[in-house]
Amino acid sequence: MDAMTISRADLLGLAEDLLGSGIRVVGPAKASRGMVEYRAVAAASELALEGPELPARSLKEFYLPPTEPLFAWKSLAGGKVELMEARMAPPPTVVIGARPCDAAGVEVLDKVMGWDYRDEPYFARREATTIVSIACAGIDSSCFCTSVGLGPDATRGSDLLLVPIEGGYRAEVLTEKGARLVSGHQGRFRPDSGAAQAQEFKQKARAKVAAHAPPDARPLRSWLETHFDHPLWAEVALRCHGCGACAAVCPTCHCFDIVDEPEGVTTGVRRRNWDTCQTARFTVHASGHNPRSDQNSRIRQRVMHKFMIYPKRFNEILCTGCGRCVRACPGGMDLLEVISRVSALAGGAG
Amino acid sequence: MNVYQPYLVRIANITDETPDTRTLRLEFVDPAVAESFSFKAGQFGEYSVFGAGECTFCIASPPTRKGYIECSFKCVGKVTRAMRELGVGDVMGFRGPYGNSFPVEAFYGKSVVFVAGGIGLAPVRCVIWNVLDLRDKFKNVTIIYGARSVSDLVYKRELEEWGRRPDVKLHVTVDPGGETPDWKGQVGFVPAVVEKAAPSSVNAVAVVCGPPIMIKFTLPVLRKLGFTDDRIYTTLENRMKCGIGKCGRCNIGPVYVCKDGPVFTASQIAALPPEF
Repeated sequence: MDAMTISRADLLGLAEDLLGSGIRVVGPAKASRGMVEYRAVAAASELALEGPELPARSLKEFYLPPTEPLFAWKSLAGGKVELMEARMAPPPTVVIGARPCDAAGVEVLDKVMGWDYRDEPYFARREATTIVSIACAGIDSSCFCTSVGLGPDATRGSDLLLVPIEGGYRAEVLTEKGARLVSGHQGRFRPDSGAAQAQEFKQKARAKVAAHAPPDARPLRSWLETHFDHPLWAEVALRCHGCGACAAVCPTCHCFDIVDEPEGVTTGVRRRNWDTCQTARFTVHASGHNPRSDQNSRIRQRVMHKFMIYPKRFNEILCTGCGRCVRACPGGMDLLEVISRVSALAGGAG
Repeated sequence: MNVYQPYLVRIANITDETPDTRTLRLEFVDPAVAESFSFKAGQFGEYSVFGAGECTFCIASPPTRKGYIECSFKCVGKVTRAMRELGVGDVMGFRGPYGNSFPVEAFYGKSVVFVAGGIGLAPVRCVIWNVLDLRDKFKNVTIIYGARSVSDLVYKRELEEWGRRPDVKLHVTVDPGGETPDWKGQVGFVPAVVEKAAPSSVNAVAVVCGPPIMIKFTLPVLRKLGFTDDRIYTTLENRMKCGIGKCGRCNIGPVYVCKDGPVFTASQIAALPPEF
């Protein structure tokens, strides 16, 4: 693996270079009401690269937007219909300052978006985007990336990982895309000199998260496969309002709806919108029958999908341990606690 | 190619099955698609009316009849109401075919027993015609079909046609109270009619589709007749949006109905959590 170093000033300079050549730069930046969000910036000075807070939402919306057109239609005389492209070509984008959990989320989503049928709208954005992550120092007690096989220095989904060292970062080149970014901006990088410091940063960050994170969530799968019915589900569901805030902020929740939006009488757009398994009407049949008719079954579905269904199908946990669902939940639902409880049940009862 | 962009299909024929159930025959607008399109019995698709949205139905016509597909739908929601507004010559959208299929070739040389209730006859009808179009490849064909009332029976003309065929044993029934004064068929619930008809399970498979309550009480009867769960097939109709294993709606435990189904054997269904 190639490594270089880059100073803080040069990283901002790199962002300016990219902006100057017409490339969209996305990164954590102050947004409305002082929150930090991932957004496109007009100047490198807007970037808030090392927190301390986690951006309010994940990077998901840059690949799977909350709403997006799939195609447009136009009704013509004689009952005829014409279908038209409604998507714009995704702009070439470099994300600077992604959190490793958010970069990993994109790679986890690749599996479901690419199996058998390739989700073209998603992959068009994926291909147009390069992700430069900054290793995280650990945010707060809601983080648990070390429990899902990742960590504050995880490299999955990133093209370049920057590890903070004195005066700047050690840049680990992870992919072809990352190498192209470095070679295109050679002047901004210096030879590697920060290996030891970077290692120390990673170890400290890992220890910080691991100190409070629940046990490894990967072994939960076998318990979940055999405990569809368990008093745990009714108990955890008591806290759930079914609002779906957890899914909206989640880097890996990807359920969607497809709806038509007429724009006038003869034209309109078919759109894909975010949806969530936490709402009552998500699974309701035309007959009125609802296979998941209570919140117990809906919260169970969320946990099952992340820790059993997705791992079984794609050998991958559908969770990156970012902790956003914990921070966002108005009912105090705590996925760390659910993981700990299931781990205890799995360890105890066998 | 954008997988969410449908083929354009033109309504070639409309048949009213019951006061609220209709069958549309759809032909592909693009001759190249019409030529290349193929599917297997049991597969489904996403049908759409532009401006109203998409809906999931099985393909109710058999793959042995080329050049068109048919869907039968009950008018209950936004999309089906919009479908009902359309006339012959109007254009709709269709994405598919999706999902797995009934292993019809594995049924060659066997007897086939069809059991259906209500609109559940639609996916079964696809297999029935597939079997009848290749009739000499199969042994006995038995069809047991029931609906709440005489007016709720779908595919009435085809029921008459099957009833006239010497190579098909047809039993049509309506629920008690659903008969009319001139009703000549049977009166009784589907499971009881299956028990009375007692089709042989020797070298036979069963294809079952209908409301959950009918399936629940029909399975024990079929088992009593000697049909093992691996020889009983059914098709599940979970709510779907994408149809291609992405939107997260049709999961039953680890199963994606749209990709692993919609066709399952009774033994596969017995292994699923009770969430359908």
